Amino acid sequence: MSSNERVVSNTINQVAALSNSIKEGLELGQQYTSLVDELISTTDDEKLLLATKRLSSLDLTNAFVQLPQHYQVADYFLLMMDRLLTLHQIEGFEIFEDHDHQLTATIHPFEKQVTFAFAFDDEHQGAFFNEGASQESLFFIDLDNRQLRFSNHALVDFFVENEFQHFSDLDLQEAVKPLVDFANLLKTQLGFKIDLGILNPTNAYNVRLAKPTMDLTMIDKLFVSTADSQYMLFTLPHKNGALLKLDAGIQLRIFYDQESYSHEWFYNVTDPDDQVSLFDLLIHYPLLREWYLANRDDVAVRSLPLILQSVTDERPTDGQLTSSREEEADDQD
Amino acid sequence: MSKEELSRGAQDISQVINRQISSKIEYLQGIKESIESHNDRRVFQLLDNRRYAAEIEHREQQPNNQDVMNLVDDLADQLSTYLSANLIDYLGHAYPFFYYEEYQTGHFRIYFGNWWDRRQFGELDVLNLRFVFNQDEYKKLSRAFELQQSGKRYNSVRIDELSNENDRLQDLLDHSREREQKRNRLQEQLRDANSHGGLFESSKAKESRQELVDQLGQVEDEAKQAENAAEKIKENEKTVLELSKENTILSYEMKSITDTFGGFEEFELANRKLYADYLKHLSTLTDGKQVTSDEQ
Repeated sequence: MSSNERVVSNTINQVAALSNSIKEGLELGQQYTSLVDELISTTDDEKLLLATKRLSSLDLTNAFVQLPQHYQVADYFLLMMDRLLTLHQIEGFEIFEDHDHQLTATIHPFEKQVTFAFAFDDEHQGAFFNEGASQESLFFIDLDNRQLRFSNHALVDFFVENEFQHFSDLDLQEAVKPLVDFANLLKTQLGFKIDLGILNPTNAYNVRLAKPTMDLTMIDKLFVSTADSQYMLFTLPHKNGALLKLDAGIQLRIFYDQESYSHEWFYNVTDPDDQVSLFDLLIHYPLLREWYLANRDDVAVRSLPLILQSVTDERPTDGQLTSSREEEADDQD
Repeated sequence: MSKEELSRGAQDISQVINRQISSKIEYLQGIKESIESHNDRRVFQLLDNRRYAAEIEHREQQPNNQDVMNLVDDLADQLSTYLSANLIDYLGHAYPFFYYEEYQTGHFRIYFGNWWDRRQFGELDVLNLRFVFNQDEYKKLSRAFELQQSGKRYNSVRIDELSNENDRLQDLLDHSREREQKRNRLQEQLRDANSHGGLFESSKAKESRQELVDQLGQVEDEAKQAENAAEKIKENEKTVLELSKENTILSYEMKSITDTFGGFEEFELANRKLYADYLKHLSTLTDGKQVTSDEQ
């Protein structure tokens, strides 16, 4: 073959190669757009989850086709959350896009005063749901392992301590509702394991104390603060803690488990309708809120690290991560 | 004495003895039967006939038969336990805030309330149907009611005192940094003054050096006070908590009494009438068995 012919066939190859590369790039773009379309239009929860997962792992970098304006992984999470809530007629949650195509959310009745967004964590392949100004991470969601966990510490910091100064207790309760609804939807529709922490309203749920034991002086202080209120603090029949009787049959127990060797302390909230959580009490009762914040180091609830390790890890003995798929019984270890 | 007189005397005395013994047997039979048929009321009557006659039958000055009264002395504890069953049941309704602990056969401690840090309030004397309140606790309660009239709390004065002291001590602590700085400054000035002193020191220099020493002494005094301040503050806080707890307990106790009786005087009146009220209640029991609360 002559050298002239060789050069010609090489160039043709190169052109073909470029054309293929551009085609791949365009296919990538096509894939991207169809996933985004799926995300915003599907009415099936599983498909919604799948689209989010696939978008999260999609690498859009391509040398030949560039999408200068597109969304980030965190935005897909927010979209998914918004879509899931909308599909199930949960109101109060709205998302907005800024000029950078970044999505943020607002919750009624906070409106624009407070914004939320997800932040994706590459290392742990999950996303934190953060408040804009303080960057407090209220919960962490892991799509692959289907888990969601709230941070008790952040919930107290953000709602009980800070926002309390700007909003009423009813407002705060309303604002937290879409978050709880979201978690419950993940559990009932998509079989997620969720840990609502202090937002859990179930009567059987016990929240563990962060410290190994409760200093009884702390309960003395709570006792003293009831003097100016209409509420009374009783001793539990087995002398293993105290019982605060509140309104409408709501009872708060602060107690240690006599059966267990370690005598760990717990909070437990019971009410006739199984609807009231410790969070609700901290928001509604100044008596409790002030006591909790003033003595936080000693009386705070345990707040587990948000990053969940693999599912086979140690299960907390209190308020176990509940999943509707596996129908775990509410037994305490 | 003639033989006839002796024999008549012997007959007389044997009659006396027989009469006495019959009387004792009758008494013991009475108690035995009353217990068997759960007739608590009759037991109380037999145990103290004079009181029963006076307070229930309104017959004054019926003497007690001393010969028989002490026959069951050694059964006092057991009788007390036996009679406590119905009594405590009754008290559960009449005095819902009292709780009882039988720490020894027939002996009952009273606890006021089932709340956090409730107090031991005295004992229940079952056989005599009366409360034996711990005088200190009772007086505190009485005083608390009095103070309530003028809107005060039992330990308010002392608590205020301690809180003020803590404020003062805290102030000392808060200024420790400034004090430290001042101390360092004075020490440096003193060092300076000392290094320039010696035999040829002027009287003026001596004067100002003395003043430095005085000032330094004062600052160090304050520093020493501050050292203990932290500890004293903690101590005071502990005391304030104890006093506040007492206030809270008293407020719970007052609330219980007010809710049940309306006021302290009514409570005291009910206590005085316990004997009569309870025995009247017992006579409403049929067959000595407790009537259920629905039927009452």
